[in-house]
Amino acid sequence: MSGGFGFKLSHLQAMLLFAVVISIAFGFLGKRRPVDRVKYIVWALFLFLLVGVGIGWAMYPFSR
Amino acid sequence: MEANKMVDETTAVAPQRDAKREAMAFAIAVAGWLVPGLGHALMKMWGRAVACFLTVGVLVLLGAGMRGNLFSSSGNDAFDSLGFVADMGTGTFYLAARSLEKEGPDVSHADGDYGTRFLATAGVLNLLAALHAFEAARGRKA
Repeated sequence: MSGGFGFKLSHLQAMLLFAVVISIAFGFLGKRRPVDRVKYIVWALFLFLLVGVGIGWAMYPFSR
Repeated sequence: MEANKMVDETTAVAPQRDAKREAMAFAIAVAGWLVPGLGHALMKMWGRAVACFLTVGVLVLLGAGMRGNLFSSSGNDAFDSLGFVADMGTGTFYLAARSLEKEGPDVSHADGDYGTRFLATAGVLNLLAALHAFEAARGRKA
């Protein structure tokens, strides 16, 4: 956190936060039972991270 | 004769009830758009209401904290206009984000660019939640 109201996040932190928050929202909106929600949140989070890291590696050869 | 009269009354009342329900669903959707989670709270869906409020709130806080770009109505091109629509999806949180970003946006770094996406995502997510509340209020399975 920098001076005043502001955040300094790394790429990984930003991706993690984004994935966690969106997974929670999708889980609560998409499922009704608490157990189903937790399963959905974990699954969505896993897929977010997998796709995020996958795309990151797919772009690696073009990054230099 | 009596039976026919009863059928006529029933068929006349049903569309009125439907129209009232549609109007109520629309009001709930607008409430959900203006204040994230309010639409669900009005239907006593407390878990979803809290989840919507917190997730949209956290995304707006992070987006504004990372000095993301908040689009205005005076956009130069279609992307600016689309960005404005997405940002406006957060309802009153748009104004909160504006007041939080005292130093204005800074998209010269990756942080600011991510912040722009966080703010737009918050808006689209809130629009999705408002649509969900609308469908639930209409009686669709939600």
